[in-house]
Amino acid sequence: MMTQSSFVVTLLAGLLQAVLLMAVSPLFSGVSRVIRAKMHSRQGPGVLQEYRDIFKLLTRQEVAPSCSGNIYRVMPFVLIGTMLAVGATLPLVSQAAPIAAGADLITVVYMFAIFRFFFSLAGLDSGSTFAGIGASRELTLGILVEPILMLSLLVVALIVGSTNIGNISSSFAAEHWNAPTATAMALIACAFAVFIEMGKIPFDVAEAEQELQEGPLAEYSGSGLALVKWGLSLKQVVVAGLFLAIFVPFGKAADIGLVSIVVGTVAFLLKLLLIFVIASVIENTLARGRFLLTGRVTWLGFGIAVLAFVFYLTGL
Amino acid sequence: MTAICWLGTALLLFVIGALLSLLLNRNEGLAIKLSGVFSLLGGVAGVLCALPVLLSGATVTAEYAGPFAAFAHLTLRLDLLAAFMVLVISILTVVCAIYSFAYLEEYRGKGAWAMGFFMNLFIASMVALVAVDNAFYFIVLFEAMSLSSYFLVISEQDDEAVSAGLLYFLIAHAGSVLIMLAFFLMYRHAGSLDFAAFRAADMPVGEASAVFLLAFFGFGAKAGMLPLHGWLPRAHPAAPSHASAMMSGVMVKIGVFGIIKVGIDLLGATEAWWGMVVLAFGAVSSVLGVLYALAEHDIKRLLAYHTVENIGIILMGVGAGMIGMATHHPLLALLGLLGGLYHLINHALFKGLLFLGAGAVIYRTHTKNMEIMGGLGKLMPRTAMAFLIGCMAISALPPLNGFVSEWFTYQSLFTMSKEGGDIGLQLAGPIAIVMLAITGALAAMCFVKVYGICFCGAPRSEQVERATEVPASMTIAMWLLALLCIVLGVGAAQVAPLITQIAAELSGQTATSMATAATVFPGDVTQTSLNTPLLFIMLLALPLLPLLLFSFTGKNNRLNFIQRGTPWACGYGYEQRMSLTAGSFAQPLKVLFAPLYRMRKTLDPAPAFHRSLDVTTDAAARVEPVWDDRIVMPVVGGVQRLSRVVQLIQYGDFRVYCLYVVAALVVLLLVTMA
Repeated sequence: MMTQSSFVVTLLAGLLQAVLLMAVSPLFSGVSRVIRAKMHSRQGPGVLQEYRDIFKLLTRQEVAPSCSGNIYRVMPFVLIGTMLAVGATLPLVSQAAPIAAGADLITVVYMFAIFRFFFSLAGLDSGSTFAGIGASRELTLGILVEPILMLSLLVVALIVGSTNIGNISSSFAAEHWNAPTATAMALIACAFAVFIEMGKIPFDVAEAEQELQEGPLAEYSGSGLALVKWGLSLKQVVVAGLFLAIFVPFGKAADIGLVSIVVGTVAFLLKLLLIFVIASVIENTLARGRFLLTGRVTWLGFGIAVLAFVFYLTGL
Repeated sequence: MTAICWLGTALLLFVIGALLSLLLNRNEGLAIKLSGVFSLLGGVAGVLCALPVLLSGATVTAEYAGPFAAFAHLTLRLDLLAAFMVLVISILTVVCAIYSFAYLEEYRGKGAWAMGFFMNLFIASMVALVAVDNAFYFIVLFEAMSLSSYFLVISEQDDEAVSAGLLYFLIAHAGSVLIMLAFFLMYRHAGSLDFAAFRAADMPVGEASAVFLLAFFGFGAKAGMLPLHGWLPRAHPAAPSHASAMMSGVMVKIGVFGIIKVGIDLLGATEAWWGMVVLAFGAVSSVLGVLYALAEHDIKRLLAYHTVENIGIILMGVGAGMIGMATHHPLLALLGLLGGLYHLINHALFKGLLFLGAGAVIYRTHTKNMEIMGGLGKLMPRTAMAFLIGCMAISALPPLNGFVSEWFTYQSLFTMSKEGGDIGLQLAGPIAIVMLAITGALAAMCFVKVYGICFCGAPRSEQVERATEVPASMTIAMWLLALLCIVLGVGAAQVAPLITQIAAELSGQTATSMATAATVFPGDVTQTSLNTPLLFIMLLALPLLPLLLFSFTGKNNRLNFIQRGTPWACGYGYEQRMSLTAGSFAQPLKVLFAPLYRMRKTLDPAPAFHRSLDVTTDAAARVEPVWDDRIVMPVVGGVQRLSRVVQLIQYGDFRVYCLYVVAALVVLLLVTMA
């Protein structure tokens, strides 16, 4: 067991990591916007546009509908808080998880449920029709994604023999690729789920106000909107980080030296950039699908996850 | 005082409460208070009875001759499982008693005294049921429990309540018949009705399997597992809310208790496929239960379907535990039973809380229809806060109690997938995990719907607009449960070892450590762990970061937050009717899962029960004339024919009768002469 002081150190390291994620998340949303503009052959905003938007909105007055209640008010804080909590636990920079007792696959998946729970509840709390439908769709999508995410992560957990992301990360970083085909299939299925969770076409359009992901935000304005936008960017980064923490161990710090941590951080940011570029390119080459047909598309992802499991059983 | 003394005290208090309530039918105000006070005291005595047993880990037994000593001794046995059940029942009893002080005022003049009577009897029979160690007393108390709860279901006395009560009565008794058969089979082998003899009896596998299946379906009907759940969504809404809380929170657990008692305690869970059956029924119950809950608009029916779901989750844990026992995998047995039993107490707490919350809403709005609620969060803030905690707990959001027990269930299923000996177990584990994941996501959606439609936004009807906060006794009761939900989640590291002890006793092994000071882990800390206090602190503290950001940016020139105007409606004038309803919220799911919803109509046994009832009455109607035609009518006809013959010799003329007398004399003379 770890001593008291090393526990505090890792806790601080985790919190530092969470703050780093929060600081860079608008940058990655900016990257997405730039790529989209380029693929649309538009001039588009600069990479830092998200920061400007957020800081401008933060200075604006927040006006809420008269029927909205407490949930509407606290949602932005819960949103960011939950994602920071997840971000603090994941082994993003180092091979071992900073807060091992939180970096469990099941815990992380259910932490995302807190995000979804309050996000949708705030939509209903605003009393708006569009926000309500957005809330309903957000949760429906969650139901479709959860089995894919759970099964693909389960396959990896079974291969390593532990549901702890820290253990999985160190095991993959060390050498063990016991079942390469199964791991690869799980990677594809998990990427599929992560892509949906990031709020991308064909499942979602993160920028459109009446769509799923921003649907519950229809009534937010001013400083509240700034925080929610930040929270959504943060969620995209954290979800991508979860994927990286499990499947892409390259470049992570093996020890707690200053150099290796710095190298790990830089490597992490580069990997994150790669994920965002790939996701944006895929997103902009696809057309928006009809929502009620989403279930048919997600079967594909679930099918891949099942295949991964079958490959695991056969030991491939 | 010893545990048995406390048990006796608790039972005595319940019975006194029941009798006083019965005697005071003229003075309902006093009846409500006294029956409440006595069940409160009885509940406290129950907690005092259970805690020493649970903390010391020592089984307490007592044997009395009892009135039926000829064939059944009154044997009491407080093992850890029984003490655990007594604790669960007692906690909810205390809370419901506090709640009933104000809540039953609503039922004044509608038989509140009878509710006090049946409620106390109901609780007493459950407490006694888990403690007895004899099949005869078990069945008698089981029937007493079913009957008294039947009277609670029909207490509203309207058509719906009576019909729901009848269905409940039928299914409950169909279940008890199966249980009696199971006990009879065991009695044949053991030669005694004592559970001790049942435990010692060495039954052949085939017969043991038959006993297990009979008991599983018999107790499953009481637990409300699919497909025997038909009574549950009808009986729970009909009963008064504190009785629904007891029925859903505790009584259905007696069904689970029965399955554990027979499957594990008496039969020893020797066959792996028994566990598979429990696991499979649990997994199907959980997914379908929550899916059907989503389609409901009646808040209490919705909660009742969630009971089906949560019983499913409990059974998944129990099933995994039974598989672990049968395949001699001690860790799997421990983890599965730990997950199941932990979820059992958790479900009692948060479902009790939700039913009491629903009762508070109904108490003020006089409707169960969610479509006309809304905006109650501002009108009833204390109820709303407690209800929100209940919603979060049942949706298994960390770090509340529902999450911890599901986490252990996940871990047991993971252990089963990883180390299950044969391919069947390796397949069953992941399937169950995926189903549990879907259940979790669906439950979150369902409770966003419940809380969002009832408590958020603006009121959708006038009667809801007028709602005010409920009296203190009701909010205190709800907050007690809400706090327990938090304590059992954050204090997982303190609770898990106690329940591990129970699981260890059940599976006949020594307990493996499952917790350190703050973290819980599945048997091996290097595998994975869960630190709920840390999560709790992080989830409370980290939202402060955006709050700091919020307060330090632009505080000089930013205007204050205001609430004004209506939501945006595409430029049209906003009307309250535009806000989302419960039905439209769940609409996408009705499309996506259409086949499963269609299946419900074919799966629900209620129509089948009604049909079979119709067939029975039809047949009876047809049999009845047969009885008349074949036996009664021939007799009547014969008598009539005989009397017609007799009529021939009766003319009413006294001279003819004189002639008969003479003729008779002549015949007699001739006979004597001969």
